[in-house]
Amino acid sequence: MIYLSQMLGNPVYDLNGEKIGKVNDLGIATGEVFPRVTSLAVEGPGKTPFMISWRKYVDSYDEHQVQLKVVATDIRFSYLQPDEVLIARDLLNKQIVDTRGMRVVRVNDLKLSDTSSSQLRLLGAEVGIRGILRTLSPRLERVVMRIAKSLGRTIPERIIAWNYMDLVERDLSNVKLSVSHKTLDELHPADVADILEKLDPRLRGQVFAQLDDEQAANAMAEFDDDAMAAEIVGGMEETDASRVLSEMDPDDAAELVSELDYEKAEKLLRLMGVKEQKAIRQLLGYKEDTAGRIMTSEFVQLSEDSTVADAVKAIRGLDEDFEAVHYVYLKDEEGRLSGVVSLRDLIDGETDTHLSDISYDDLVTSSPDDDQEDVAKDIAKYNLLAMPVVDDKRKLLGIVTVDDALDVMEEEHEEDLQIAGASTGDSDGSQHTHVLSWLLRNELWFFIWMLGVIIMGSIATGEHTLQHTLLLALALPVAIVSAGDAVTYVTNFYLEYDEDDEDAPSMLGFALQGLGLGILFSTIVLLVAWGINSVFFMRDATGGAYAVRGFTAASASILVSFLTTPIYLRVLRRRDERNKESSGTSLACISMLVALAVFVAVVLLSTHGMAI
Amino acid sequence: MTAREKRAKSRPAEQERAQGKRIAESKAKKTGLLAMLSVMGPGLLTALAGNDAGGIATYSSAGATYGFGQLWTVPLMCLLLIVVQETAARMGCATGKGFASLIREKFGIRISAVAMLSLCVSNFAVNVSEFAGIASGLKLFGVPVYVSVPVSALATWMLTMSGSYRRVEKILLAISCVFVTYIVAGVLAQPDWGKALHDTVVPQMSLDPAYISLLVANVGTTISPYMLFMVASNVVEKDLDEDDIPGQRADNVSGAIVAEVITWFIVLTTGTVLYPAHIVVNDAADAAQALVPLAGQYSSALFAAGLVGASFLAACVMPGVTAGAVCEAFGWERGTNRSWREAPTYYGILTAITVLSAGLVMLPGADLFGIMMASQVINGVLLPILLLCMVYIASDRHIMGRWANSKAWNGLTWFTIVAVIILTVIMFAFQAMGY
Repeated sequence: MIYLSQMLGNPVYDLNGEKIGKVNDLGIATGEVFPRVTSLAVEGPGKTPFMISWRKYVDSYDEHQVQLKVVATDIRFSYLQPDEVLIARDLLNKQIVDTRGMRVVRVNDLKLSDTSSSQLRLLGAEVGIRGILRTLSPRLERVVMRIAKSLGRTIPERIIAWNYMDLVERDLSNVKLSVSHKTLDELHPADVADILEKLDPRLRGQVFAQLDDEQAANAMAEFDDDAMAAEIVGGMEETDASRVLSEMDPDDAAELVSELDYEKAEKLLRLMGVKEQKAIRQLLGYKEDTAGRIMTSEFVQLSEDSTVADAVKAIRGLDEDFEAVHYVYLKDEEGRLSGVVSLRDLIDGETDTHLSDISYDDLVTSSPDDDQEDVAKDIAKYNLLAMPVVDDKRKLLGIVTVDDALDVMEEEHEEDLQIAGASTGDSDGSQHTHVLSWLLRNELWFFIWMLGVIIMGSIATGEHTLQHTLLLALALPVAIVSAGDAVTYVTNFYLEYDEDDEDAPSMLGFALQGLGLGILFSTIVLLVAWGINSVFFMRDATGGAYAVRGFTAASASILVSFLTTPIYLRVLRRRDERNKESSGTSLACISMLVALAVFVAVVLLSTHGMAI
Repeated sequence: MTAREKRAKSRPAEQERAQGKRIAESKAKKTGLLAMLSVMGPGLLTALAGNDAGGIATYSSAGATYGFGQLWTVPLMCLLLIVVQETAARMGCATGKGFASLIREKFGIRISAVAMLSLCVSNFAVNVSEFAGIASGLKLFGVPVYVSVPVSALATWMLTMSGSYRRVEKILLAISCVFVTYIVAGVLAQPDWGKALHDTVVPQMSLDPAYISLLVANVGTTISPYMLFMVASNVVEKDLDEDDIPGQRADNVSGAIVAEVITWFIVLTTGTVLYPAHIVVNDAADAAQALVPLAGQYSSALFAAGLVGASFLAACVMPGVTAGAVCEAFGWERGTNRSWREAPTYYGILTAITVLSAGLVMLPGADLFGIMMASQVINGVLLPILLLCMVYIASDRHIMGRWANSKAWNGLTWFTIVAVIILTVIMFAFQAMGY
């Protein structure tokens, strides 16, 4: 076992013990899982580099030197073969893709091993901290390892084997990939998209350009960040971009096109085939977040009198990149959707059976203007793999497949979380700010409390001293926190019940329940405050009076907060109908500010009305 | 060779060509002024971030001590700044890689480790001086240190955490508008324009050690190590390529000129107002305060506002540049669209620099002046090393292709390097002699 960092720069001696130069690089043959070292690059006197065959000339090697079998004069130079890679030049210090760990890493060192007496093979690239330490100084590595050991930890090597490496800069180094490579091309498109998202913009474009159209289209559909996908498309040459778009499923392509600016989108669409273009334009004609927007127009539909054999033939004749087929849909003479046959029924059925005999007629359908969330819920409810979308005349326009429904569910779930106040709605992965903003959101009441104190302090005049103002403000937190809770009460209700569910309580019931809660809590607050005041603070009557007045104002504000809950519910539902995103935090903020206003108003009224 | 192999072999070359064409075509469409403007930003911001707390302190004390005597250095500094920034930006455009990446790939781990370690130390020290600048600037407006530093630290931290360079570029450019205040302050001071212009063009040399050491400090604050990293990484993040090089040149040249015009006005203001009154200033806040009785409340307030804005701008970019460069060199995940768990080192360095430097400024009895001096010494040592790395990379045709340094440009860069080395040696000599 030896590392490249330990070999570079070592002297090379010939049979006579004459130094002919120092180790500059090693060449490997790329065809194997653990590639053999085939040549030795030497930097001779006067910095002239030359290469010699490893197998023919190298006798032995270690951490200090390389010993050749022959005398210097007998050496014949060789040249870099097309399938050879110089590992120090092409791999060391370069960025590679770890196709198993799905990450982009930098090669810190290369690990080599002798499998037989004179044969040296590349085990893999070291990408961990140990490679860095070793290159800095082998002693440093040993010291750090010892310290780690005494702390009861080990620092493992992180080796990536040759067959799990993919070179990011293929075009620069001209390194050819061996057949056994598990390269980017073979990864699942979702993983490819993940890796691409981690690269610098320039490399992202380069790696993307190396994928074939199909792979590119699939990866494109898998980007989490639509804006990034749109950016890549924007940076491509138009004919390439339109080719990739044509390759994509029309529903994914439509989503991507809608992210581009109008001019660019038009240009790309015009470059596409007539059929694909029509499909995408049709989808783009529907409103966002509707069934029409997410459906695909790739489905199999046959007339009622077709046989099982016809159906099988039709499915076999489909393009490779056709959307997955789960059902065959039937139409009557007037083109209306009349039934559905599942794949399983087709397999079970005799070849000459008429499809209308084995079809299922009681179809669940949706219209293109239906909300995508409703469609997704129906797909889940009826255990469908695809939901047909039909127009007013029951003509089949497209199908919403289960994978798109899952995406919708995920999206809606995130929206719900946002309303519940658990996320900022910034779903493009900036999680680091979550903890901080979570804290700020939850402690919002404090800032509003302080705002209240400032307001009351600035309007306190004359005989109302600062202490009295502060005594009044003592009760403010309970009013503000309850206002926040009232909003939580609303959002919970909103998430739990749909407006058109039969078993959902009516608006009136909700309002009454809110009112009840408000009365209950404000009464408790008032009673407890009065009780404490009368038992403990009898001696300071003025102070007590102020504190009680504050709590009275607080309980009035609590009552108002809960009384207004139906309004918030109304707002949430209205916004949902108009497909607008709402954030629970901003609702809570509004309601807290209202509570503050009510509190201040009541305090002002009561202090003006009563002489102290 | 089978047909399949042949195809496989010819594919990369074809694709490379297709790709080159692809980029060329997509870029060919945006020409003219609009295209120029769209690539503006990296150079301008970097040059402006150079006029930070340390810079303003040096320029004000140059003006206060020698009047217009050092104005002639401004055009010269401008030239050096252009040489350094243009080269760094061109490297980013031509390779699509940051400066740290290039150092690592050309010079290996050892030199990278040295460069990164000293970059960390130097940027940390610079960041300390930025917070000190914010603190002393805001103090003139009556804001105590224990409020101004934590709040600005939190603000810079959140700004750097909130997104990539491209997202915050506009915010930073908006902040840098604060530099206009120096020009207004300069006009308010009613200088002798004719003499100022004359002294700008005609060099005056003095062998006074204090004069020379101020000159050295001047170079040190104008060209700082982080500049090379910042301009290149911003270019990379903005995904500018070879076709953007002309625009990038315009950006860097205009950025350097704007930055030096501001420098000129700072020297002008302090030279007009403080020099005749024989007031010696040590830092920028001193200068702002000294302006009050002589030039009026407004030019002092403008001066202080400029100081706060400039320091804030630099404090926003410093931690991100450092963390980005270190992670780039060692291949760790970086960038603000990762989570903490994915890029712990990146966020660790970023947060540590912000927290530690803000904490150090708030520490009672901390020798801020000493820290600033130490940072200048470190910068002085690091800068020649980095400039050497830069010139070797920039003249390497294997890396830069046809955008490698021309002979004339190489000459200019070498002139810069030699000048910096000589000045650094002089600075050390003076310090050893106790000036």
